[in-house]
Amino acid sequence: MPYRLEIALKPDMLDAEGEGIRHKAKDYFGIELTKVRSISIVTIDAALTDTQIDIIQSGIFTNPVTQISSCTPLPVEFDWIIWVGYRPGVRDNPGSTAVEAIEDILGMKFARGEAVYTSKRYCITGLNLVRKDIERIACELLANDIIQQSKIYSKDDWNSSDGIGYIIPKVILNHVPTVSSISIDSDGTLKTISDERNLALNPNDIPTIRDYFLRKEVLAARSLTGLSEPTDIELEYISQARSDHCNHNTFRGLFRYMDLETGKSETVDNLFKTCIEAPTLYLKDKKPWVVSVLWDNAGAGLFDDNNYYVITGETHNSPSNMEAYGGAITGIVGVYRDPLGTGKGSKLIMGSYGFCVGHRDYDGSLTPRLHPRRLLDGVIEGVRDGGNKSGIPTPFGQVLFHQGYMGKCLVFVTALGIMPSVIKGEPAEQKKTSPGDLVIMCGGRVGKDGIHGVTASSEVFSESTPAGHVQIGDPYTQKKMHDFLLEARDEGLITFITDNGGGGLSSSIGESARYSNGCEIELEKIPLKYEGLDQWEIWISESQERMTVAVKPGHLGRFLELSAKHAVESTVIGRYTDSGKIHIKYNDRTCAYVDMDLLAAGFPQWEFDALWQPPERRGLYEPVIKEPRDYNNLLLNLLSRPNICSKEWICRQYDHEVQGGSVIKPLVGANRDVNSDAVVIRPVLDSKKGLAFSQALSPAYSSIDAFHMTSCTIDEAVRRLVCVGGNMEHIGGVDNFCWPNIQYHPVKNPDGKFKAAQLVRSCRALAEICLAYEIPLLSGKDSMYVDGHLFGKYGETHKVSALETLQFSAVSVIDDINKCVTMESKIPGDLVYVLGTTRNELGASEYYEHFGYTGLNVPEVFPGRFIKLYRALQDAIDKGIVASAHGIYRGGLGVHLAMVAMGGNLGLKADIGLVPSDGADRGDVILFSESPGRFIVTVAPGNRKDFERILNGLPFACIGEVTENRELVVNGSNNRKLLSVSISISIDDLKKAWKRPFGDLI
Amino acid sequence: MSDVKVLVLAGYGLNCDHETAYAFELAGAKAERVHINSLIDGNVQLDAFHIMAFVGGFGWGDDHGAGVIQAVKLKTRIGDKILEFVEKGKLVIGICNGFQAIVNMGLLPGFNNNYTERSVALTFNDSGNFRDDWVTLKVNTASSCVFTKGLDNIELPVRHGEGKFYSDEPVIRRLIENNQVVIQYAMPGGSPAEGRFPDNPNGSVKDIAGICDSSGRIFGLMPHPEGYNHFTNHPGWTRRKEMMKRLGNDDYLSETPAGIRMFKNAVEYVK
Repeated sequence: MPYRLEIALKPDMLDAEGEGIRHKAKDYFGIELTKVRSISIVTIDAALTDTQIDIIQSGIFTNPVTQISSCTPLPVEFDWIIWVGYRPGVRDNPGSTAVEAIEDILGMKFARGEAVYTSKRYCITGLNLVRKDIERIACELLANDIIQQSKIYSKDDWNSSDGIGYIIPKVILNHVPTVSSISIDSDGTLKTISDERNLALNPNDIPTIRDYFLRKEVLAARSLTGLSEPTDIELEYISQARSDHCNHNTFRGLFRYMDLETGKSETVDNLFKTCIEAPTLYLKDKKPWVVSVLWDNAGAGLFDDNNYYVITGETHNSPSNMEAYGGAITGIVGVYRDPLGTGKGSKLIMGSYGFCVGHRDYDGSLTPRLHPRRLLDGVIEGVRDGGNKSGIPTPFGQVLFHQGYMGKCLVFVTALGIMPSVIKGEPAEQKKTSPGDLVIMCGGRVGKDGIHGVTASSEVFSESTPAGHVQIGDPYTQKKMHDFLLEARDEGLITFITDNGGGGLSSSIGESARYSNGCEIELEKIPLKYEGLDQWEIWISESQERMTVAVKPGHLGRFLELSAKHAVESTVIGRYTDSGKIHIKYNDRTCAYVDMDLLAAGFPQWEFDALWQPPERRGLYEPVIKEPRDYNNLLLNLLSRPNICSKEWICRQYDHEVQGGSVIKPLVGANRDVNSDAVVIRPVLDSKKGLAFSQALSPAYSSIDAFHMTSCTIDEAVRRLVCVGGNMEHIGGVDNFCWPNIQYHPVKNPDGKFKAAQLVRSCRALAEICLAYEIPLLSGKDSMYVDGHLFGKYGETHKVSALETLQFSAVSVIDDINKCVTMESKIPGDLVYVLGTTRNELGASEYYEHFGYTGLNVPEVFPGRFIKLYRALQDAIDKGIVASAHGIYRGGLGVHLAMVAMGGNLGLKADIGLVPSDGADRGDVILFSESPGRFIVTVAPGNRKDFERILNGLPFACIGEVTENRELVVNGSNNRKLLSVSISISIDDLKKAWKRPFGDLI
Repeated sequence: MSDVKVLVLAGYGLNCDHETAYAFELAGAKAERVHINSLIDGNVQLDAFHIMAFVGGFGWGDDHGAGVIQAVKLKTRIGDKILEFVEKGKLVIGICNGFQAIVNMGLLPGFNNNYTERSVALTFNDSGNFRDDWVTLKVNTASSCVFTKGLDNIELPVRHGEGKFYSDEPVIRRLIENNQVVIQYAMPGGSPAEGRFPDNPNGSVKDIAGICDSSGRIFGLMPHPEGYNHFTNHPGWTRRKEMMKRLGNDDYLSETPAGIRMFKNAVEYVK
């Protein structure tokens, strides 16, 4: 007989969760509620006595100061009740910690199948509420039917003694694990089975797969193990490994690129090799600080003589699009396993986020699965819990709104770690498996979670995408594992480590076994969440919070001892061999036996047609706008635009200071409310060295040319680093491509060839700019199918594709953090300089977007010229003669002068007639052009000479000064043409406008 | 006196152990990060230490009330050892999640030397969300708290979702009368925040940010003193540096940050 505890705050206490729901119901749906009270329900499905229940009720589940609880339904006032609980098999984190706590306090162990399930009951009161209102709150605010179930009770429905009853979402499969053979008598048969089983095999791969299994020597070898036709587990393994997600078939593809302007055709073979690998290898030779690139879970750079930092970036788009909270928390917790699985293991030191979603106030007729507002709320909270509960600071992030992300949102997550350079005399960045090493799985258990996740994310999102790949990350379990593995690492117990992410054990063991050249796995040893999983499911499940570790048999005892100390489950599941085979057994029967090198060769390269149409040929042109007269309101309105305005509410939810090394925070300035260009941390607390980190996203420019989108994005990330004191000699990059489908199809993807050309151009810009700025790409990933089909008003669907998007992350090592600089003006009387040339580059600018234009003059990067300026600014910061430095980014000079002034909470007076320019001779062009390569710098008058000497010969001008009276005053008095420019706005009004859209959110 | 030894709890999702140990070391102590299980299984003896630090983090994910399961586990397994530690006149500090834990164990407020009764709570912020920001704290100079000796107005970071200090009116009154309220959220100038957000970041009753027991040897607080271990941790440091530079003054580089001064006070006391 299960027990059900209901727990609530005492009636006189403020219910912050309930209040939050009340506010959202009003703000999101216009539904007025009088009161919402939340009740936590803990359902205990275990054989406990009444006395035991009493002990845990008072000992664990009821705070005598704040809470009341009862085993019968609490009599809380309501007009309607909404109950929300998880569906069977969905990760219930509080449920499992409850088990831990109960076992501990009672000194007992739960029997197999016994568990605790948590759910919530919301008691809602309000005048004239109807069922439809409550259904809306239940479905669009409280429960996501992919992972949760909900029930609604009116006063009449509710039975005050039974309450919600006893709801036990237990997984019961009643299935005997079975290995099936799969017929490969023809390509057609295999194709059919692939479709039926959701294998997502590429039709072009099918003949290669069949060839392999029909080879004489393969058949002979297999027959010795009792196998003939391929088994499901073997085909699942191949499917995982060949997916675009794991194998990056697109980036390794063959592109037939044609420029319609010049008529020139060329073939680009493998974008990864030519545009990412080659420049990075070249730079690795040139830059002694590059420690490890292009092979491990994350790239590594030299931090100091004793430490390496590591960095990687990921996306988690498809799952977040279905279940925002679960997708995002799984994403951030998942990316944290990459540094942990880099070298012999790295400690996590920082994370960052990038969210691209539809407009928060979207009220059009398309119906995405989750409204952008709800989606954004969910991904913010997912990254919040994933980061905060991992004890890893999340100091940097970006949010970008655009209609194109309605089809599929983007959730970028980036992770940095640090490792000692040497562990027990061995280089820490190296790792390998050797025959005889044990294969150990650590951390969570295996369930049906995430099966076919990688193949699903390699497909265009449609209404029939299976929901099974949505999970909820568990930072608590992972944090315990993190602490354990680092201790094991320091004792020299780990010879190889990698994470279980996409593809699960199939990927992690498949990859790690390459070093020893084989493995033998005993599948039945793998701990499961529940019985009844087929062998292939165990092998490819993406259940989270698991690492695969290789340990020498002699170290096993100590390894397991540490594992027990940290309350982490570790299981020997096989051993590495040099047999040349992946050999998987289940209760001594072979269920997979394939050659290690099966995937290495013979599979056909993917091919794409790429057709480039220059912007003019696509009909783009500069809009005809006469100069505005009311610059005050124009600037204020630009500051209120969603992609410019303050998003402080997000930064503050993220612990950006844990680990004690915060140097430059996400929000800076006199009132700590303006965004910093970059962040700096001190990862080694007793060192004065710092790590500077920044990211940039500027997909708007892709609407003109993805080449310039890419170069501007990289340039912005670099300038952001320079502004805080970054070092141009040491910049590491991470590229995260998110692209719509580029495979041409006359009906389904008619502009595929253009998008493919955009990808080629983007990759070329990446190579060109990274070589020029000398940025090795320490890590990178791609996510290729950012499209969705959304229902419209009449039951029709519309394909919505994202802009071609690149998130670029940049990292630099700062020798002395005491020299770091922040962006806000500091002291009245300081001189205001603009560095860099302003050109007529309003194409795809925020200014044009404000009026609904795209334009043509996309901003362009001139690395040769820019680098000199960046080095000069770096020199000036290093010499301590710069009071503040801020890059000019989206929105242009006008917006960013406002940022500097708002940051300082001081006035600023500037004459834009003095701004160095080239072809920009109108007020609006100078103020809102988004030319890259520019900065706003403030300097003490006493440093004027020194500063100008350093910049001698470079484009710069002193355009004004910082003033005591808190007003931004911008004129064009120095130039007759600019006389119409006249801005004078108080700092308070600037802030009001800038904070207006999201200022009330917490 | 030889080394002042500090035990810094770790494990089960706690996460400020490294910087708390570092801060104690800066303050002149020898700090050791000790896994909760090492303390329970007796591999590490609590007795060997002078100061016990309950640190920030998310023990057991904070799933059933912040600090609750940590408190249950420690109380059940080594509650007697901890009480013995306290009775011997040793020092305890609970920071953030650690404060939540010692409040749930009953180590605070410790009225009438009863160190097992839960009579105050740290509950959900009024804002309903986690918040990271710096706050100004007014120190009660009349308090017997060992850790805050010689401190007046200080600034420290807060980073929590469940930091609202709450109890019924008689308990609050008694805390105030006994000078057990050690630090309170304040306006930048030092005047009381009087509940105003964000100066009082969580809606704590009477702006209470930290309390001690009547001996002043057990101290719990929501803000993170270990988060202010270096000049550059302060959110305004680049502004201050610039101003001081203009005055030709670089003393700020050798100042002891307020956070470290709390730990120094503890180390001095033990010595």
